[in-house]
Amino acid sequence: MLRNRRKLLHRATPALLLAPGLLLFLVVIVFSALRTFWISLHVWDGFGDMAWAGLANYVELWGDPQFWVSLRNNVIWLVVFLLAPPLGLAIALLVNQKIRSMRLAKSLFFMPLVLSTVTVGVIFVWFYDPTYGLLALIFDAFGGTAPAVLSSDTWVTLAVVFAALWPQVAFCMVLFLAGLNNLDEEIIGAGRVDNARGWQMLRHVVLPQLRQVAFIAVAISMIGALRSFDIIAVMTSGGPFGSSTNLAYQMYEESLFSYRFGYGAALATVLFAIMMVFIVWYLIRLLRDERGA
Amino acid sequence: MTRLRLNRRRFLATSAAAGTACLGAPLYAQTRELVIISNRGNPDQRAALEALAKEFGTSAGVKVSVNNMDHEAHKTAIRNYLVASPPDINFWFSGERMQGFVERGLFSDITDLVEQNGWADVVPAMGATTVDGRIYGLPTAGLLWGLWYRQDVFDENGWTPPATAEDFFTFGETAKAAGMTPFSIGTKNMWPAAGWFDHMNLRINGLEHHKDLMAGRIAYTDASLMKVMEPWTELVNAGLFLENATSYAWEQAAATLAQKKAAMMDLAGFISYGFPEEDRGQLRFAPFPTYDAGMGRYEDFSVDSIHIPAGAKNPEVAREFLTYFYQPDTLWSYLEPDGNLPARTDIDVSGNHIMSESKKGLVGVDGTSQYYDRDTNPDVAQAGLKGFQEFMARPDRAERILADIERARARVYGAL
Repeated sequence: MLRNRRKLLHRATPALLLAPGLLLFLVVIVFSALRTFWISLHVWDGFGDMAWAGLANYVELWGDPQFWVSLRNNVIWLVVFLLAPPLGLAIALLVNQKIRSMRLAKSLFFMPLVLSTVTVGVIFVWFYDPTYGLLALIFDAFGGTAPAVLSSDTWVTLAVVFAALWPQVAFCMVLFLAGLNNLDEEIIGAGRVDNARGWQMLRHVVLPQLRQVAFIAVAISMIGALRSFDIIAVMTSGGPFGSSTNLAYQMYEESLFSYRFGYGAALATVLFAIMMVFIVWYLIRLLRDERGA
Repeated sequence: MTRLRLNRRRFLATSAAAGTACLGAPLYAQTRELVIISNRGNPDQRAALEALAKEFGTSAGVKVSVNNMDHEAHKTAIRNYLVASPPDINFWFSGERMQGFVERGLFSDITDLVEQNGWADVVPAMGATTVDGRIYGLPTAGLLWGLWYRQDVFDENGWTPPATAEDFFTFGETAKAAGMTPFSIGTKNMWPAAGWFDHMNLRINGLEHHKDLMAGRIAYTDASLMKVMEPWTELVNAGLFLENATSYAWEQAAATLAQKKAAMMDLAGFISYGFPEEDRGQLRFAPFPTYDAGMGRYEDFSVDSIHIPAGAKNPEVAREFLTYFYQPDTLWSYLEPDGNLPARTDIDVSGNHIMSESKKGLVGVDGTSQYYDRDTNPDVAQAGLKGFQEFMARPDRAERILADIERARARVYGAL
């Protein structure tokens, strides 16, 4: 009797331990995602009744020039954010050397990670300010006129992405630093015996061991690029005239300023579908590695 | 182990006692309560409101709580709290912004309270809170929009404010010759560009047209709109506005006026926040220049208001509070720190420089609208705000921009 109960408990333990996390995941992620999709099939102003609209929101999305601008900006974010892992790796290799005062350099590179995104955004707004900003002062020193990057519909998205890249590079650097600390000394020693140095050592001995870390850095950078929203809100509010808006920001704007929750939900669904590609890729890789191990 | 158990027992006992005390408290405390949600951003005005609430609480024996919210965050939160957990008093904007909530039955009808107190006689702006003859809120103060400038700068240069459309260009040239930006504007937050549109449309097409446009009864692709965009394009192309305006919020644009780098700026009385205390006395108000000599003088006059939500738990106390709050002295002590013009005409504002300037500016006004994003549906407003911001940066896109706004208008108000 007692043994049976113990057996049952033994079997139920994993389920019980997983339950809180699963419940949270179901309510916060799965239920919200399904509900968002449901809302996207309606016209809804946020309160009052929802009116069934079928796929009308998606059809409108297709013909909405702002949607294509947002999508293009999301692509720019993704591409530029791909720079974060290699830059992070470069800095990690630099500061990982045992040289005096490297600790200080390390903490300086680490700093943007401690700052909140809002702070980073504000700092960069000041930096880009066409009259008083540091960028303007630099241009002045060389007798030029600084471009007002946040007012230019061509440059504004890049200007915002570069601001966001700063903490992202720091994040990747931390990941790679951790990876570098876990390198197998024996393999490196073997490489030394075989006379590998410099580039060869890096290319054939160090980098293969960092594959797992690099994979995580890329995946997280991609997802970070897609969900970027706060820094846009702080730096440009999606402007000028929507040129720096991405899908996440457009969703916020349509829902909360234009009170079009159905349309906002349609944008969220599209964004979710794009993210799914990266999430599924990430999960498949993860599962395959786990099985392989 | 023993100690732990003892501690736990003691803890349970203490919390039980505390719980009982909490439950018991309301039983012998007063039952009269009042909850106010305020969206006032100016810290001095916040303090003034809290002092008023406290005074009301002591004299009427009411427990008053004032919940302060960030001005911008409140704009979205109100949709939630009016339905889910309405306070007894809240602050809002009259016009379309109020009407939407009135149509959903979320604000109380206080027509009888207004009649009882004869407020309509001293508040010409009462129309701003009236829907179909019923009154749903009390106007507290108004913001008169126009061109502000520094008297000392104008004296030094021997300038007078531009009075007609032609003056725009002559004045612009002299200002530029003096090394100044003729008209400062910061369109980062988009609304200043829409405000300029209001002025132009009111001057060129008049109030009736403007009201019809705001109510969605005129298409943005109508020929009358190009009559506004064309002269506006000339202003932009003549280089009369601050360069890279989309990089600046209104505060930074106002700073250029304060620093004598710009000659004039289109704003309301709150421009004084952008000025150092000692310079505020230099501020003067000039109405927007005329385009059509035969057209009446119509201005944007945005009215802030105070309301009782329909779901208020203590509507009687809320009415008492409004009666107290709307006395001339009380209203004045609430408005003085802010500088907006009191809605009651029986308040003497001569002691406040900015208010007196606005009051002078109000003389001779033939009719008022509120402000672009207060007059039209929020969805259309968002499209319009974005469109006019784009227009001021790329005036050659006027037709495409109007077509974009028209799409939003047609979606909301239907095809014409």
